[in-house]
Amino acid sequence: MIKRIKASTSEKIILIFLILLLVSTLGTYFVIKNECLFIKNFDPKIINFKNPNNIAILNAPCGNVIIELYPEVSPNGVKRFITLIETNAYDDVAFHRVIKDKLVQAGDLEFGRKETLDYGKIGTGKSGLGNIKSEIENEFNYVKGSVGLARTFKNDTEDSQFFIILQDEPLFEGEYTPVGKVIYGLEVLKKIKHQRHSEYILRPDFINTFRMLD
Amino acid sequence: MKFFRVILLLTILITPLKANTIYNLIKIPNLEIYEINTKNKLKYFYAISSFRLGVQKNIACLNPDKQDLEKKFKTIYKILSRYSYGYLKKINLKYIVLCENLSISGINTAGIPDNIMKTLILDIKFNKDYFERVIHHEVFHVVNDQYKELFNEDEWIEFNDSKFEYAECSTCTEKLGLETYRKTKGFFTEYAKSTASEDMAEVYSHMLFLDKNEIGQIRKLDPILNNKISYIEDKIKIIDNSFTF
Repeated sequence: MIKRIKASTSEKIILIFLILLLVSTLGTYFVIKNECLFIKNFDPKIINFKNPNNIAILNAPCGNVIIELYPEVSPNGVKRFITLIETNAYDDVAFHRVIKDKLVQAGDLEFGRKETLDYGKIGTGKSGLGNIKSEIENEFNYVKGSVGLARTFKNDTEDSQFFIILQDEPLFEGEYTPVGKVIYGLEVLKKIKHQRHSEYILRPDFINTFRMLD
Repeated sequence: MKFFRVILLLTILITPLKANTIYNLIKIPNLEIYEINTKNKLKYFYAISSFRLGVQKNIACLNPDKQDLEKKFKTIYKILSRYSYGYLKKINLKYIVLCENLSISGINTAGIPDNIMKTLILDIKFNKDYFERVIHHEVFHVVNDQYKELFNEDEWIEFNDSKFEYAECSTCTEKLGLETYRKTKGFFTEYAKSTASEDMAEVYSHMLFLDKNEIGQIRKLDPILNNKISYIEDKIKIIDNSFTF
């Protein structure tokens, strides 16, 4: 006959501790794995906008980024931006340049597409629509969330690439053509994949969709 | 060799990325903002530590002493405030970098313009006797770089005595004196005799530095300088009709 041995109090405590440890480890694993867990996904349909015609919605891996465009500040820049958005040109295009807490850049339509990603040339691609002139005359405060058109060292080389800043950048005023500002969802951009030692991203995140508000 | 590669790789991997907006804009390292809220929208930076530039790293400058910087900034700011935003935009000047003991290939210089980067590097420790005027001199080089086709050196040379010849370059001559001549004879300073471009810069800087009566006197007494002054005046008017000396 097998004698049943009762677990001592200390053994019970150890068992409970091990169970708690397992639960917290698994819990933490899933929480950490889901980087979008605490990011609010804004639904543009339930928001009332002052200028609904100037609202664009960029859908990124962690949710929607809602951008108000400023055609009165940069008419040609915004016109180009809307043209590309309305032709779905930015869908599946990489956030190829990301600096943590500073900026995200995307919009290389030639070398930044998911299916034809070219790490050697990314950031140099064109849209095929040609360059547009810089619009840097009007006053614009480059505060956190501002959206501008990227360019080469020279002015008047803006095309399809754009950046969104995650911190105030007063030196950008008069340098880059502003097109708008993020009004909801800046936190989504902070979760875009970045690398610790490089601005250019290996296996980057992509724009899911980029649409004008219906 | 492998060991060094591993060390290099590790260094790259463990060094966090430091995004530097100023460096991204003007490609000069080790700078910080000194003043950016100015009427004419000039942005002033200063060196927080020494830097070297150029393909062969032949341009060097040191970080300035804070007290010196404070004093000299007031002077520089006052002088450059003379230029309107519109004029600065036309000549493509936006950033002023303040540092100390600026040199090119070991030769000290007051300033270095970089037309492409819209930048003028100024040595705040440059000879204090000529400091104010020299700033205008350097601004002229910015103007000249932006409008090369406008300032024709062959036309300029014609103003001088036919026997006079400039040196091959501004650093390959002993003519470096910056003191304004009492009797000008076609040149404001000894340095003006170095090259046509330096001569133009000296005329421009004197036109801004001296008062109108002094310039008027010089024009009456020195026909060569009178022609040179008219030339600069005309060309600057083409660039910006609203600019006044």
